[in-house]
Amino acid sequence: MNPAGSLYGRLLAWLTLPLLTLGALLLLQAWLEARATADRAYDRLLDAATLAIAEQVQWQDERLWLDLPPAALEMLAGDAQERVFYSLVDQQGRHITGNARLPEHPGASAASGDTLLYRDIERHGMALRQGIRRTRLEDWRSGEPFEVRVAHTREGRDALRLELLRSNLAGILAMGALAVATLLLAVRAALKPLTRLRHAIRARDPRTLKSLDLELPRELAELREALNELLARMRRVRANQERFIGDASHQLRTPLAGITARAELALRRQEPEEWRTALETVHSTSERTARLAMQLLSLTRLDNPEYRPELHPVDLNDCVRQAVRDHWVACHQAGIDLGADCLPSPLRVAASEWQLQEALANLIDNSRRYGAHRITLGVLSDPPRLFVEDDGPGIPAERRLLVLRPFHRGRDDGEGSGLGLAIVDGIARNHGARLDLAESDSGRGLRVEMRFPEAPT
Amino acid sequence: MKCSALARVALLGALCLLPVVACAEQLLRLPAATDAGPARPLVIHAALDLPQARPLLEDFHRRHPGIDLIYRNLTTLELHERFLDHPDEVDVLISSAMPWQFALANDGHARPLDSPHLEAWPAWARWRDELIAFTFEPIVMVIHRELADIAEPPRNHAELLALLNTHRQALAGRVASYDPVRSGAGYAYAMQESQLSPRYWDLVAALGGVEAELVETTGAMLDGLKEGRFLIGYNLLGSYAAPGVAAAPDLEMIIPDDYALVSQRLALVPRQAPNPQSAELFMDYLLSLEGQRTLAEETSLGAIHPALTGPGTATQLRERLGDALRPPGLGPGLLAGLDRLKRQALLARWQREFRRALATDDSADSVAAD
Repeated sequence: MNPAGSLYGRLLAWLTLPLLTLGALLLLQAWLEARATADRAYDRLLDAATLAIAEQVQWQDERLWLDLPPAALEMLAGDAQERVFYSLVDQQGRHITGNARLPEHPGASAASGDTLLYRDIERHGMALRQGIRRTRLEDWRSGEPFEVRVAHTREGRDALRLELLRSNLAGILAMGALAVATLLLAVRAALKPLTRLRHAIRARDPRTLKSLDLELPRELAELREALNELLARMRRVRANQERFIGDASHQLRTPLAGITARAELALRRQEPEEWRTALETVHSTSERTARLAMQLLSLTRLDNPEYRPELHPVDLNDCVRQAVRDHWVACHQAGIDLGADCLPSPLRVAASEWQLQEALANLIDNSRRYGAHRITLGVLSDPPRLFVEDDGPGIPAERRLLVLRPFHRGRDDGEGSGLGLAIVDGIARNHGARLDLAESDSGRGLRVEMRFPEAPT
Repeated sequence: MKCSALARVALLGALCLLPVVACAEQLLRLPAATDAGPARPLVIHAALDLPQARPLLEDFHRRHPGIDLIYRNLTTLELHERFLDHPDEVDVLISSAMPWQFALANDGHARPLDSPHLEAWPAWARWRDELIAFTFEPIVMVIHRELADIAEPPRNHAELLALLNTHRQALAGRVASYDPVRSGAGYAYAMQESQLSPRYWDLVAALGGVEAELVETTGAMLDGLKEGRFLIGYNLLGSYAAPGVAAAPDLEMIIPDDYALVSQRLALVPRQAPNPQSAELFMDYLLSLEGQRTLAEETSLGAIHPALTGPGTATQLRERLGDALRPPGLGPGLLAGLDRLKRQALLARWQREFRRALATDDSADSVAAD
């Protein structure tokens, strides 16, 4: 059976296996018991027959004498018509009379008083049960010891044993059937709450994240609690998402409203210069808005837990050089000193190159917006790290975690979207990297460091 | 398996001649029909006189002409001895010496039969499906009509006892019975009767009182009765007496109505039988309705088959006599009769009782008053 197949099957298998073993043991015991019982019952016949014969043994003409009672022999044969053998033996082991020379018992020789011995023997290929009575004459003159040996075939015993076994077997089988039926019902009943839980989950509205309140046994209650915890986390995630959407729409509405207002104002004027100024404002605002929309899109993608970027070995030095190449012109025009601090040898980590570029672009952009004059990009090893340092105003330590959340701006005066650092954080998480925010070495400004996990190369 | 030397001695001394009047050996051969394929031999040894056996054998041979049948009629003693010497020369063993036949089966000499007729066969007439009783022969009294001049003929043992005691002088020397010492059958009957009732010993004493002639065979008693030497014959084998009585108008056969012993022929197939198939065929025939009908109609052996009624069947005898019929049970009790000491004890008692009347022969009255 497939171990992961069915809980029902597993329970049944593990309960049935010991039950069957127990049943087999019971059967074995019944078999042995039936044999012993049948022998006990039939040995009484050997007992009675030897006694009936022994009572007829006399001392006559200076020798043992027996007036054999036919009933003693009849006694040994029942409905099964057993073959019957008897023999009278004197103290010296001489055969006095009988229809067979039955062997002596290897046990202790004639003890005082009556001794009864039983055993299984074989005679001319016939399995016999032999009974031996050792006794002595109750006579005035002679206390001569003698032995009466009788034996009969086992048909009656075998029949009785079979009969006993059959009745036992019926009992054992009935018990077994009862046990199996009970087992089936019990397992079914025990697994019922599982079905209830399944139905409850299946019947839920897919949009609701309400916790389950279902009466369940302890083991399943644990499962229910785990489910409820997951649901609670999902509720929080959804609340975050809703807030994010609200923030996002707010962020998009503000510049759109500004554009609308500026356009209306300009339309009321007649001077083409005013129009031009207005158009320029509209242009720059819509450009910023488009950039905001782009950032929102990439943030949404990064936040999707199902999204796993394909990671390839990327040399961080190359990455930094590429970023400096991309942004140097723009920075130079704005009078900002953009520099790179690379390692002499390549340092490869598993990464998505475009995401790293995006992160660096966001960090450079962020520093520019907050008025940095000098921005340094760099790479450090052991562990592999990527950093961006500026000489801007920096972020107070107590706000450094907050700024990683979307739409939270480090400084209220800037014109940033408040998404840059959130995006960088998302990228860092995608790479299993840690994002550290700190003061730069010079004591002012901001230093953002992305610390990659130690990768075996 | 060889019989022990002791048993052999006991045998010789014990059941000498059972009621087989036969001389040493009678042989009957029914050769196979030449056109019935390869001959299948069948050797039967029996203590059963030819006049009784012949109708059965011929009927059987008519039904199975391919059988090359050899039938030897032996005395029970010869039969037993010969079998123990050569257990592999005979296919079917038939004898009226029930204890001996039983002893053979008990020792495992017999082959279990597998006949379709066994189901219908009465349980009291088979043992372990190895030993089959197939005849039913009551032990009877035969009286001569002259007895009517002295007294009413006895109908049962009690009346016989009274008759013997009251007419001791008149009947002196004119009663015959088996000698239990010399005749195996006589010993067997004495054994059974002594177990049935202690009054048997009074009867033995009364037989002694009339100085009964002790003979060895049914035939001897029958001859004496025919000649008029004997007036009463006690314990004749009914199956042998019946034809003789039928032929002699002076004689009358009486089955005692208080109890009547029954002798039965026992058949067995030896384990080492050379032709077991033929033996099975013959046993099948003995048990079949056809065989039993032949037995009832053409012999005086008495058919056992429960489906048969009418003259010559056990069913009819039972209807007439009911519980009075005492067939010896086919069981280990029969073995007691073979016990050496038992035999000595019984015969000693028998002889003592038989001489009781003579020893204390003061007057017939004192015995009659017993």
